[in-house]
Order: sequence, then structure tokens, then C-alpha cells
Amino acid sequence: MADDKDVLRDVWFGRIPACFTLYQDEITEREAEPFYLLLPRVSYLTLVTDKVKKHFLKVMKPDDVEEIWFEYEGTPLKWHYPIGLLFDLYASNTALPWSITVHFKNFPQQDLLHCPSNSVIEAHFMSSIKEADALKHKGAVVNEMQKKDHKQLWMGLQNGLCCDELCLVQRGGFWTALISSLFRHSCATLFISTTSNRPFIQKLFRPVSLDGHPHTLGDLLKEVFPAAVPQNDGQKKYQVVIHGIEPMLETPIQWLSEHLSYPDNFLHISIIPAPSD
Amino acid sequence: QSMSLFVSPAQTAAWRKQIFEQLSERSKREMDNFRHYEQAIEQSVWVKKGSM
Repeated sequence: MADDKDVLRDVWFGRIPACFTLYQDEITEREAEPFYLLLPRVSYLTLVTDKVKKHFLKVMKPDDVEEIWFEYEGTPLKWHYPIGLLFDLYASNTALPWSITVHFKNFPQQDLLHCPSNSVIEAHFMSSIKEADALKHKGAVVNEMQKKDHKQLWMGLQNGLCCDELCLVQRGGFWTALISSLFRHSCATLFISTTSNRPFIQKLFRPVSLDGHPHTLGDLLKEVFPAAVPQNDGQKKYQVVIHGIEPMLETPIQWLSEHLSYPDNFLHISIIPAPSD
Repeated sequence: QSMSLFVSPAQTAAWRKQIFEQLSERSKREMDNFRHYEQAIEQSVWVKKGSM
């Protein structure tokens, strides 16, 4: 059987094929061809779409260009969530490539945060790391890090380093400490997609019960969103998806946190309606 | 109060095996037919230093 480290590699090297098309109402000087790209699941849309932007800017008048944003079937895509999470939540049961619409006008301020530069993404990413560290290790790891360590971590993500490589390059073993299994709580975020609304629930969850048994994904769901646990008749209303897969409910939360957390150190779980067929 | 499910060794093997299998299927589904697509970020060059 494969090694658990292979799981980390699969998670960090996961790619989603995407087809970007320009929104039909954008004014162009000539026809805009679609643009095809492999997107890293663990990165952020606005961080990895420079090529998309350049491609479409070639056919647009500079006066018609405002801040770029992305949409999937009418839903603006929040750049501050990892790409893999957005895909699992909105498009996991659809045909590939993922069809994303590109906009340069009418920025939906009520739905999206502005992203004028990569430094905004960096600030968001580092803030998520700090939050996760505060919850998991009472801030013990991030407090020890210097500015250059923060930069190194950010550059690692930006340049597509995998988890193993970050462990190797980080001075003082900060990345190793951040993802260390010696944590008090798992930081799980459940994104629930139903037909009526799309809430998310952030949950701190002890990986081990008071009597020493490992808590499982099923335990977490029973506590936070019981409807996602199949009923006695075996009927499954929801799919519970992490990085494009559906782990069994018996999977320990500790193991999931160590192996299927995103680089922001959160375990993002998508709960989506099960296909009806 | 504990509400943990009892997890037997057989179940442990089952969930782990299922994750490996699903990740492998995911790679086939999401990457194998699309390797000709351009990468959003070029894979970093990783230089390993060592002595013979």
C-alpha cells in the first residue's frame, strides 16, 4: 500500500483543468478565444491567473478594463478560498474542464473582496496561518517566526512547492511545526451547499475523545451537520468532499487534519447535495 | 461526553485504502486527459545538493 506521504503529495500537486471564457457582455476589439489552464487545487484564483488576464487584455480596450473577477454559473468565485474548495463546492459533479467566466466590469462588491495585488492574497494567507496556529498551538509557532520566515512560506506557496519541500526549506522547521500532529484542536471548516443558501461553519474539534478514542469524520458531522450522515435506511442526502474525494466516515479527524488540510492549515470540507440519479 | 465511534483495525485499513484509491481516481479524472494544458504556475526547480 502507498505511504501516507503519497497522500500529501497528491493533495499538494492536485490540478483542476479549467476553461476560461470572457463574459459575453464585455466589449472587445476582436473575438476572445477561450483560455485553458491547469489550476493548482491548493492555491488561490487571483494568484495563478496572470496568464488568463494577459490573454484577455489583448482583445480589450484599456478603458473597458476594471478589476478582474471570476464567476461559475452565476456564482462569483471568492478568491480568498482555495481553488480546490471552490471546485468541490460548486462544480464537483460536472464535466471537465471547469468552465469559468471572466469579468472585467461590475465587480460584485457584496460578494467578493477586492484583490488589487498579490500582497492582499499574501496578507490573507498569513492571517489564516496565524488563526490556525492560534487555535491549534495557541500561537506558539507563528510567534517564533520572523518576517523572513513568513516571506519564505509565502514564496513557497506562490512557487508551487509541495508540503515536503516546505518542510525542507523552512529555517527552524516552522512549517513542520505548523503541520505537526501535536495539536489540541483540529480547525475544520464545513462549507455547506444547499439549494437555498451556502453557509459555512467553522468548528474547533478535539481529535481525541476524553476517554482517548480518536474522533472520526462521522463524529464531527454528527455534531455539526447531522443531515450529512446517512440515515439507517442508507439514504445519502449529501456528499462530504475533501480535495475531490469522499473519505469514509470512520476516518480519524486527526489523520485528516494532518494529511488533507490546505496550506492555510484548515481542513476545508464541502458538503454538497448528493446527485439524484 | 464521548460520542466516538469504535474503530476496528479492519476499518482503519478500509478508510486508508479508500483514500488512496480515490486520490488515484481523482488524478486520472482531473489530470490524465488534460496534461497538454498549460500549467498556471510552472513547477519550481528543486535542486538537491549532496556529495557522492
